Amino acid sequence: MDLITGILSTALLAGGVLALAALGEVLAERVGVVNLGVEGLMSLGALTGIATVAAVPSPALGFAAALGVGFAFGCVFAAATVLLRANQVLCGLALTLLGSGLAATLGRSYAGAPAAAVFPQVAVPGLADIPVLGPALFSQNVLLYAIYIALPVGLHLLLFRTRHGLNLRAVGESPAAADAAGIPVAAIRFWYVALGSSLAGGAGAYLTLAFVPSWSEGVVAGRGWIAVALVIFAGFRPLTAVAAALLFGVITALGFVGQARGWPVAPAILSMLPYLGTVAFIILPVVAWRRLRGWFAAPAALGLPYHRDVR
Amino acid sequence: MSWRFQRVPTVPAGAALAGRVGAILAALACVAAVLSLAGLAPARLGAEVIGSAFGSVAGLEDLGLLVTPLILTGIAVALTQRIGLWNIGGEGQFNAGALAATAVGLHAGGDDAWVLPLMALAGAAGGAAWILVPTLARAFAGVSELITTLLLNFVAALLVAWLCTGPWRDPSGRALATTARIPAELPPLGDTLHWGLPAAIAVAILAAGLLAFTRFGYEVRIAGANPGAALYAGIPVRTRIVAVMLLSGAVAGLAGTIELAGTVHRLQGGISNNYGYLGIMVAVLARGSCLGVIAGAVLMAALLNAGIVLQTQGVNTSTVLAITGLILLFTAVGDEIVHYRPVRRTRILG
Repeated sequence: MDLITGILSTALLAGGVLALAALGEVLAERVGVVNLGVEGLMSLGALTGIATVAAVPSPALGFAAALGVGFAFGCVFAAATVLLRANQVLCGLALTLLGSGLAATLGRSYAGAPAAAVFPQVAVPGLADIPVLGPALFSQNVLLYAIYIALPVGLHLLLFRTRHGLNLRAVGESPAAADAAGIPVAAIRFWYVALGSSLAGGAGAYLTLAFVPSWSEGVVAGRGWIAVALVIFAGFRPLTAVAAALLFGVITALGFVGQARGWPVAPAILSMLPYLGTVAFIILPVVAWRRLRGWFAAPAALGLPYHRDVR
Repeated sequence: MSWRFQRVPTVPAGAALAGRVGAILAALACVAAVLSLAGLAPARLGAEVIGSAFGSVAGLEDLGLLVTPLILTGIAVALTQRIGLWNIGGEGQFNAGALAATAVGLHAGGDDAWVLPLMALAGAAGGAAWILVPTLARAFAGVSELITTLLLNFVAALLVAWLCTGPWRDPSGRALATTARIPAELPPLGDTLHWGLPAAIAVAILAAGLLAFTRFGYEVRIAGANPGAALYAGIPVRTRIVAVMLLSGAVAGLAGTIELAGTVHRLQGGISNNYGYLGIMVAVLARGSCLGVIAGAVLMAALLNAGIVLQTQGVNTSTVLAITGLILLFTAVGDEIVHYRPVRRTRILG
């Protein structure tokens, strides 16, 4: 019983980090921009969160500051890729190197120390007493419910049930057609890429303020890349992205539980599971269900800069 | 009469080079501005860095030690760039190569003359094996190689860390978290330098020749420039993708082998020292040209060296990574900006 509660609880936290970053990437990729800088943005957000709570012990403030830092760096990335139309892969890699390097350099004084304040766990009266599931599902921090329910449902409705959502998907599928229809392509791309980056920054802070909760160099450990992969695996949809993130949370949690319980597998092998799982999960669906390729299809203009004057 | 910017599809080589140099200078100016805000004197630090790298034979040899792996990881990325792909898993293939070479070096006793080639072979095979799954997924299922190659970097690093703290730990117990010293060593070339540098330069020249003067290279370049046209012309694009990616992995694996047999001599965590990631930067700076990679590697090595020299000033390898990112960002933007020409807008109809 404790085992299942532990796995679920850890899985929800680990998955929450991935879900937040993946939702941000869904936004960017739906408007046609591949943001490979998620890893760097998460590093910056992770440090911002820790540094903020060290000064003012408020996790909410730390999270907000990380959203702000993600947004600021997202604006730089969007300015380079959307306004100046530079190569998205290069700029993304640059952002990852810049963010990881900058966070590691500035964060040396915070290395190893636990977070000064973490998100408190709030027990939902009544529900938290349900055996097994209660402590895992209903005794978590408030942000978790926002990440798993409010945000994905909100984004799903925005993308698929509103005119604005139709416009922004059009920008990702065919910017020329969207432009001809009077949709401001550059503005939509710019703001949604910046907004997505902001969520990546928030994911970093969620990692260091709720899940790990401490800072060390390399604390993000490829989660940004896993989030990018999840978006592909989830067919660029917010609801499936969150479900996929939870699945990866479970894989991560299994590794932790295995280490804690002394399963006869080397801890290093268990730590590899999320990465190997991600590789398997972005290859398998394409191989296994060729007929479903359309469901997994990326926005048609993904990764392509839009030049109005070049046909 | 008004002016506006018009995009031109192709840029003359001179303008492209000027864009590159301008981008690097702009990035370094940004770094200098940040350093002076942090209370450091960038001009003095810059002089110190340049003096230490290029001012003495010992400095040049140390620089050469950094250039060696960077040429090879740069070639690994440049090769895939020519067929329109990105191998950003050089870090993992580097580790896998070092690991495979260690397996041979630790267990095959005997004369260096045959152990070293065997290690090189094992290293290349290890690097190629590490990119095998992303390669097949790319060629036969169209799965983006960007993410698959990158994710395997983490797996390789974990594997190396586990082997040298666990099963392959130095049995003498004198060195922590490394394997025993590998008996086979690359022959020295000067005080600290070894024959890895000429070997890396030879690989770069071979790769340049392969791409420029062979039928294989021609087909690879066409497949990279226009896959549709390549298929129509009867070029087996898939087979070429598989060959180029495996070759790329092998070169990165060789980089790991040379670093192990020439410089580090023991397998240890962090042996790859970000060389795989910095190789992306080297290849981008070289615009995918295999000979240009040598120049890019020297520039990158000078930057890395700056991180080592300035350690006492609060600058370290992470700072170098951040600076690299900044240069990459400016380069990407600069590459696009050189496409624009100011043209005078003329009024039609009077």
